[in-house]
Amino acid sequence: MLEAHIVKRRRDFTVDVHVELEPGRCFALFGASGSGKSTVLSCIAGIEQPDDGFVRWDGVSFYPPPLPLHLRRAGYLTQDPYLFPHLTVEQNIAFGLSSARSAAESEWLARLRDSLGLGDIWTAPAAQISGGQARRAGVARMLARRPPLVLLDEPFNGLDRQLVRELLDALVAWRREIGFSMIVVDHESEILERLCSRVAVMARGRIVQEGSWTAVRAAPVDGLLDSLLRPL
Amino acid sequence: MKSKLARAGAGLVALTLLYPLSGLLRQVGSWRWDPDVANPSLASIRVSLGLTSVAMLIVVVLGTPIAIYIARRGVRERLWWQAVFLISILLPPLALGILLSITFGRVTNTPAAFVGTQVYVSIGYYVLGAVAAFDGVPLMLEKHAALLGQSPVAVFRRVTFPLARLGLAVALSVAWVRALGEFGAVMITAYYPSGMPVQLWVNLQSFGLPAVMPLLLIFLVTALPLPWAVHLLAQRRPHA
Repeated sequence: MLEAHIVKRRRDFTVDVHVELEPGRCFALFGASGSGKSTVLSCIAGIEQPDDGFVRWDGVSFYPPPLPLHLRRAGYLTQDPYLFPHLTVEQNIAFGLSSARSAAESEWLARLRDSLGLGDIWTAPAAQISGGQARRAGVARMLARRPPLVLLDEPFNGLDRQLVRELLDALVAWRREIGFSMIVVDHESEILERLCSRVAVMARGRIVQEGSWTAVRAAPVDGLLDSLLRPL
Repeated sequence: MKSKLARAGAGLVALTLLYPLSGLLRQVGSWRWDPDVANPSLASIRVSLGLTSVAMLIVVVLGTPIAIYIARRGVRERLWWQAVFLISILLPPLALGILLSITFGRVTNTPAAFVGTQVYVSIGYYVLGAVAAFDGVPLMLEKHAALLGQSPVAVFRRVTFPLARLGLAVALSVAWVRALGEFGAVMITAYYPSGMPVQLWVNLQSFGLPAVMPLLLIFLVTALPLPWAVHLLAQRRPHA
């Protein structure tokens, strides 16, 4: 189970958020750009240090004191997948696995490769693939270690709808199989709704509304949220 | 067309840089390589290559972690560190040699003095070059590598070093060339054991230009391969 209280000062406001997530469940963080959603996620992942609060995952304290990143069993994916440009796609995806790969691991990598359509670029240098391909490779690399906790920070931004649909379907399927817990941040409610049934709405660093999508849509807390939830 | 022009321009600059080497072909009398010249000259080559290698090992072992530390600091702190390393570069070699011999007077004219002086004159070049090389590696790549379960050592070995290797090769080459060719500071702190630059001076003073040319040629032939090999290795594509 994930329990976190993130306090992080920003220029205009302080992010102050409580998050609790049962094992295997999904939790969506929704809100306008700059509301502090990504800060919460990067503090849980350890990319940023909170100014105060705590982060605990399955009895292990991530903060305080800050647990080194390599000891956190968490997958973290952002808009930029940060592939290692000097390695091939395959080397990127297998990066978190031991060099002496077991038969089961090889089989798992092959499944990720096939289901995410990475076969054609498997041996290509990561620096030479397209943005969409890089995003697929990023998902595969994150899932290769079968992390028990997955943190997604708008990883579908700027992708065409067909690819977003494919990646969402893949994530839903893998979550069912691996059983990881997941927190997803996005400013598009449609994407979040496909992944998570529960949502927390953020504004100026605080959670201002929480519940099912139906409840949030039925009574949005303010005009801005109403506008964000409405289709274009 | 543009690339031809660029090549011609680069070629012209290269020719200008190499032009002084044509002095090797000028008539300066018959080159001398009798035992009086050859024995100390060969000894100086051994001293230079051996002790400069030791100095470079120290520079890399000390300088690399320092460069990583500086590269990951905030602007204000790194400016202080860079100023410290610039001072060692900034000092005229002769002045540095005098200061070193005053402060470490008891060890002058020893291999330790030779190595120590070379470390002093070259570590600034290596560290500043290495900081620039590590600057080119996005911090987020390292953080993502760590989140994939890699320890700090593994992150350095698998991500930071491969991505910074070209810059590190340049930094090491510059440090090597600077240390190997150092004359002013080494002449004050370690006249003995004589390295190649000091021996060139001795040959010039004792026997004139005919005794300088062969050692100069050997100097060029022996000094170039190491930095060149480092560049060659750095160009190769690394593997995970």
